[in-house]
Amino acid sequence: MIATTPYAVTPVWLTNRSTKETVDAELWHSIVDKNLADWEAEWIPDLQRRLKLLNQQKVERRFWPQSRHWDWRDKLREIERRLANLSFAIVAEDMTQAMMTIDLTKRARMPGHEGQHLVYIDFLEAAPWNRNDVAEEPARFGGCGSILINAAIQQSTQEGFKGRIGLHSLPQANSFYANACGMTDLGQDATYENLRYFELDPDSARSFIEKGKGE
Amino acid sequence: MTFDISKAWCRNAGAREDGLDIGAGVIAADPMFTHEAGADESPEASRLALGRFINLMRRDQGLSIEALAEKADIEIGELLSLENNAAHLPDVRTLYQLSEVFGVSQEKLMGLSGLTHANDDDYVEEAVRYAAKSASVEVLNEDEHAILNGLISVLSENAKQK
Repeated sequence: MIATTPYAVTPVWLTNRSTKETVDAELWHSIVDKNLADWEAEWIPDLQRRLKLLNQQKVERRFWPQSRHWDWRDKLREIERRLANLSFAIVAEDMTQAMMTIDLTKRARMPGHEGQHLVYIDFLEAAPWNRNDVAEEPARFGGCGSILINAAIQQSTQEGFKGRIGLHSLPQANSFYANACGMTDLGQDATYENLRYFELDPDSARSFIEKGKGE
Repeated sequence: MTFDISKAWCRNAGAREDGLDIGAGVIAADPMFTHEAGADESPEASRLALGRFINLMRRDQGLSIEALAEKADIEIGELLSLENNAAHLPDVRTLYQLSEVFGVSQEKLMGLSGLTHANDDDYVEEAVRYAAKSASVEVLNEDEHAILNGLISVLSENAKQK
């Protein structure tokens, strides 16, 4: 059964992309029923509306957001009894802004780190109104991706994995993981829908965390 | 146990992330990548060709980096990285915008960038060969015009497939 309250809450801040002001938010340590309700009642209708706009603008389907068929309730049901799978959500203005699930059983592939434990990000998605790939409306809040990557790194450190993380990026997000996060691109993965696979080693994980502090 | 994430870090992260999409996980439908398993290869040479192509097209149109970025509605930093850094992975939207401005195939630009891997990738090899012939000078000379025309014909929608 999906929990109704998160295990823990870390205060975080998002950036309102219109005003550039920071907005109080919370990182919830576990996706709970409220997050799934937000996804069903707010994310899905909003995404459908944006897909309709893309269709009206004659944008080819392959440029539509690839995550449009994801079912977060299914994902949560699948992992709820597994100790090696954790989930996180970012909530601001009483609305779920982004969600992530992670897997603690995967191993690193990067040369020099092969076989080492890492935190593998199974799924990561921002609410439709926080994305750039769905119609012309500007994204509302920025920072969700970086905060979730930060959380994955800190979880990795707490698990004794030294900050190592790995993920398969959706095509629209390759630039974020390669350039903004400094992850190493290990190329397309033929066993995983040919998505590009990225890893962050301990040194790069430290740099990612420190970079934000020092600017 | 909670995490330590400061307000300053979040503010900087928000600025760094501006304009970028963040999704990760398996694609549920419409996979864009259709190449055969194990066919992956280093995209550095083709990305150099892509950078060279953009550089030549920009100069041919008499545009500064800033002017082209504005015309294509893309970030200046993204354009600079595209022209000068073969390790830089462009995003899909950037290539879409550039293909619109230059009037060439967005699919082939994505193939050159390494974002997709075409079943028939002869044009990638051909584009790399054309780009390798070009040299960096301030103004396009006749040879460069010829090279640029060759690149345009290779990357246009209706170029013959071998």
